Amino acid sequence: MIVGGCDVGSLTSKAVVMKDGKVLGSMLIKSKARPGESAEEVMNGACAAAGVERREIMFCVGTGYGRDRIGFVNEAVSEIACHGRGARWMVPTARTIIDIGGQDCKAIRLDAEGTVTKFVTNDKCASGTGRFLEVMARLLGVGLDELGELSVRSKNPVTLANACTVWAQADVIQFLNDGVPLEDIAAGINNAMAGRMAVLVNNLGIENDVCMTGGVAKNRGVLAAIEKMLGLRLRAIRRHDPQLAGALGAALIAMDKTAGGVK
Amino acid sequence: MRRALREYNFDWMLYSTYDAASKLMAGTEKEYAHTLRYIPYFRGMIDAVLSTGEPGLSFVRTCAEYLKNIVTARERGRKVAITSFCFSPVIFYAMDITPVCLEVMSVFLTFTYRRGSAEFLDFCNEAGFTETSCSSQRGSLGAYLAGIGVDIDMVVTDTPGVCDTNANAFAFAAEWLGRPFFQLDMPPLLKGERYDRYHRDDYRALVSFLEAQTGTKLRAERLAAVLGELRKQDGLIAELEEMGRIVPSPLPPAFTLMNYAARFLFAGMKPCTDMLQSMVNAARENAARGASGLAGGAERLRGFFCYIDHYTYNMRMWRMAEDLGVCLQGNILSRNWSIDAPHVRENHMEDSAYSIDMTDLDSMIDSVAIMNSRMPMIKSIRGPFDAPDMWLEDTLSLARMYSADFVVYSGTPGCRNTWGMVKPFARETEKAGFPTHIMYSDAFDDRVQSWEATRARFEEFLRVRRLLV
Amino acid sequence: MNGRLIEAAETLNNEFVRQWKEDGGRVVGYTCSYAPDEVFHAAGILPYRIRGYGAQETTIGDTYFGPFICSLPKCMLQLAGGGAFDFLDGVVIVPGCDSMRRLDDCWRKAGEDMAGVVPPFFFHFAVPHKFADYTVNWFEGEIRRLIEAVERHFDVRITVEALRVAIAAYNRGRVLLEELERMRRLPEPPIAGAEALSVVIAGSAMPRDAYNDLLEECILDLRAKTRCLQGRRRLMLVGSASDDTALVRFLEGDRALVVADNLCFGARFHNDRVDDGVLDPVRALAERYLRRSDCPRMYGDYRRRLEILTDAIQSASVEGVILQNIRFCDLHGAENGLFERDLEARGIPCMRIEREYGPLVETGRLKMRLDAFLERIDGKRRTA
Repeated sequence: MIVGGCDVGSLTSKAVVMKDGKVLGSMLIKSKARPGESAEEVMNGACAAAGVERREIMFCVGTGYGRDRIGFVNEAVSEIACHGRGARWMVPTARTIIDIGGQDCKAIRLDAEGTVTKFVTNDKCASGTGRFLEVMARLLGVGLDELGELSVRSKNPVTLANACTVWAQADVIQFLNDGVPLEDIAAGINNAMAGRMAVLVNNLGIENDVCMTGGVAKNRGVLAAIEKMLGLRLRAIRRHDPQLAGALGAALIAMDKTAGGVK
Repeated sequence: MRRALREYNFDWMLYSTYDAASKLMAGTEKEYAHTLRYIPYFRGMIDAVLSTGEPGLSFVRTCAEYLKNIVTARERGRKVAITSFCFSPVIFYAMDITPVCLEVMSVFLTFTYRRGSAEFLDFCNEAGFTETSCSSQRGSLGAYLAGIGVDIDMVVTDTPGVCDTNANAFAFAAEWLGRPFFQLDMPPLLKGERYDRYHRDDYRALVSFLEAQTGTKLRAERLAAVLGELRKQDGLIAELEEMGRIVPSPLPPAFTLMNYAARFLFAGMKPCTDMLQSMVNAARENAARGASGLAGGAERLRGFFCYIDHYTYNMRMWRMAEDLGVCLQGNILSRNWSIDAPHVRENHMEDSAYSIDMTDLDSMIDSVAIMNSRMPMIKSIRGPFDAPDMWLEDTLSLARMYSADFVVYSGTPGCRNTWGMVKPFARETEKAGFPTHIMYSDAFDDRVQSWEATRARFEEFLRVRRLLV
Repeated sequence: MNGRLIEAAETLNNEFVRQWKEDGGRVVGYTCSYAPDEVFHAAGILPYRIRGYGAQETTIGDTYFGPFICSLPKCMLQLAGGGAFDFLDGVVIVPGCDSMRRLDDCWRKAGEDMAGVVPPFFFHFAVPHKFADYTVNWFEGEIRRLIEAVERHFDVRITVEALRVAIAAYNRGRVLLEELERMRRLPEPPIAGAEALSVVIAGSAMPRDAYNDLLEECILDLRAKTRCLQGRRRLMLVGSASDDTALVRFLEGDRALVVADNLCFGARFHNDRVDDGVLDPVRALAERYLRRSDCPRMYGDYRRRLEILTDAIQSASVEGVILQNIRFCDLHGAENGLFERDLEARGIPCMRIEREYGPLVETGRLKMRLDAFLERIDGKRRTA
């Protein structure tokens, strides 16, 4: 049975095609103005990568901001449920999931069976999200990947506004003008990010194991800062790209919806 | 909050820091200089305070003693109350209750630790408290909620009617910790028989509450002893404030802080008197020589902070004042509303002030009730900003009296009551001829706006308004 | 559903206000539910609760208020500055909270810049933050001060007899509202939460006697209703000022129903009576208004508020509680933190939302959270 999961986010759209519990193919693109267009393009891409035809997909679940505007899905499910399911598949022992997406971040707690028991999300501005890192990296004139690498070398991180992206920008400009080394600013950025996340996760209540999904999970500096703040090791995700957790979860839920779901 | 931080007892951590600092001057100058190398983050503050000589040393000792009282409260069989800076501690001292003033504890942290109070602030949010609440309480409340400070027996505040976020922090703490709570409530105006009676009835209810919590009656002789000391302190403060009018001011910038810190910690107790006395002595010496209290010797500007100071680590605000040659003319916290205060006499505000009547227990309780209703913020932030006795009237009369060149608002984003009126307020101070700068930073949390950005904007204000050419 | 009640709730200068003014009546606005409507009723003046409903921006509000302030008083000032409250002959500012308290300062200041924005009668009415014999005494004095000011300014007499009539009228309304609440909590309620909120709000924007009659009619209609709402997830909405029926409608969608609420503007202020057996009606008003503990501004009374919530949750078979607060409303925000802790411990799913007062924009994130919350309730249903 071939199933699909499509996650149309605010910054990126992701799709996964699965068969019998295995990923056949996936795709990630920048989101377009219309969610429907993003969904079509990314699903076609995932099908091509999987080497299957669209019509072969028996059941497809949509998620993400645009989930109600995807024409081809059989069912729309919340991102919380999809990220929980996807993360659990990637780290079977996970009970707490930190997900940092483009425009929001969330912390999700699962019970032993993998059911969502509680979640919290950041409902403030872009602070504490992937967008925040993007804006800051651009200010420093470095790539997103470099931000993580840079910060690891810092010995004297700066303190940065962490509640508001606009104010943090002003702070970064001030530090740049003052000639503060880039690595210390980068570390300050990652610490600000980690600080916001730690509040969210601690508010939810941590249960081990903890893993992190979403695009920001690929940033070594943020990962290290969060580990330091929470005083624990995050379970590494190796089974698949952590940025695809939502789409993956959607595909897994699609599989559950059809007979013979694979956990 | 990081697990590692939970391994340290909060009060002990602060006590050992301040206790060690109070002994720094015991050795030779060379030893002192050597020791500073080992406290890179803390040395700016130590230097700023200790460079004022005996008063600075007395300040650090007083802080250490306050913290020692907290860490030894249990073994001395004392009940412990968390309370607010604008609540006079005299009643606690008269009843052998150990006060833990949250805002003061927050400042101890922000001054001495580079990471500031961030994790304690955040712990409150992790516990369910709002992040938009005032950082002045959250900065240390987090430690008590996390159970790494002294056990709290009761929660006492006096800000309902004056400051929601303050009152709310204490109400939240009481509920979270499951401890008894008492609030003194403040009506929107200050003077008049109806208001006086309300303050007095309310204060009597407080005394009954404290008696129930401690199981002992308030004794007249104990209250008399504390109030007697308070009178001496009021006299010393009046002298300091009078000397602040001299140009150049003989008071070093750090004296503004030390003036109110002494009272918040130990009003009515000897350490406060000693500290104020040493400040008066030092200021008298400067005044006799016609010297400015600024280390550089040249007073370029006189600034009045109409609300609170900025408590970023290492006392960088006071060091900035030294750098720029700005004489700090106090703020809302440093003014005392004793009937003898110079600004009370100068502006004929006797009926807005308090006096202490020691005739009997009743008259003393009445006096304390009225005195408490004139505490910083409690007095002037309760009603509309332009009503009699309120913020604008006080600010303008003080700024004029102390020949301020400009007015600065520094507060916290949690301060709903002042952020709700600071724009109309600043229009009026500008109209009255005082260039007014509004700081958008958080006096207790550099993560809202870094100190570097705050300072840059302040200096820009001085330049743009041609105050500092 | 009575369209006239809905219109009264959704139009600031509604038909009742217009008619009242055409008949030469005077209207006094107030900002918080701790203001005693009965005083104005007894003076022959229409008491009107000021709202920020319909404000599309806060340019005027932001001119006077600082940035870290609740958007409700900003929206109120915005509307006042734009002339939406020109029908008011007076305003009573009640310092329900600090943001609202400063509406006094900012509104008067706006009046210096914009002629006619401040009505001729402008009164600061204080309310203590706790209930004790001496606070009731003080509050009684404050109500008398208000009465004197109204008498003086509007040249009217507020007699004991007129106060008794007013108390009877408002008590009748409270009985009817209690019945409405009971009907909302039925297993198959005849009314959705958004409509019920409209009905309650209408009461603060029209003459009480006319309101009572319409409300009675509305209740009879609801009783006769045969097609009731079934099968939806049963929610309770709690927290800061919310008079935005669009928000409730959004939360309800087609899958949920708000069967109970505890909101500033909601029914929470109407489920008791003023004691009409007390000799002095002013004393009775002081007792009633101050004893109410339905707002966290009454510090240190959290336990009683928790009981009010748990009673409602039980009687309305609530499956999930949405705890919302306007950004910078620390009173409700912090209390919501405590509610979440205590209700979750009792097995009641909770979701906290921080929002802005004003037009419902950017609902994407809220929808995502709401869907996940409803999924959580479904999960609970499955395992029940």
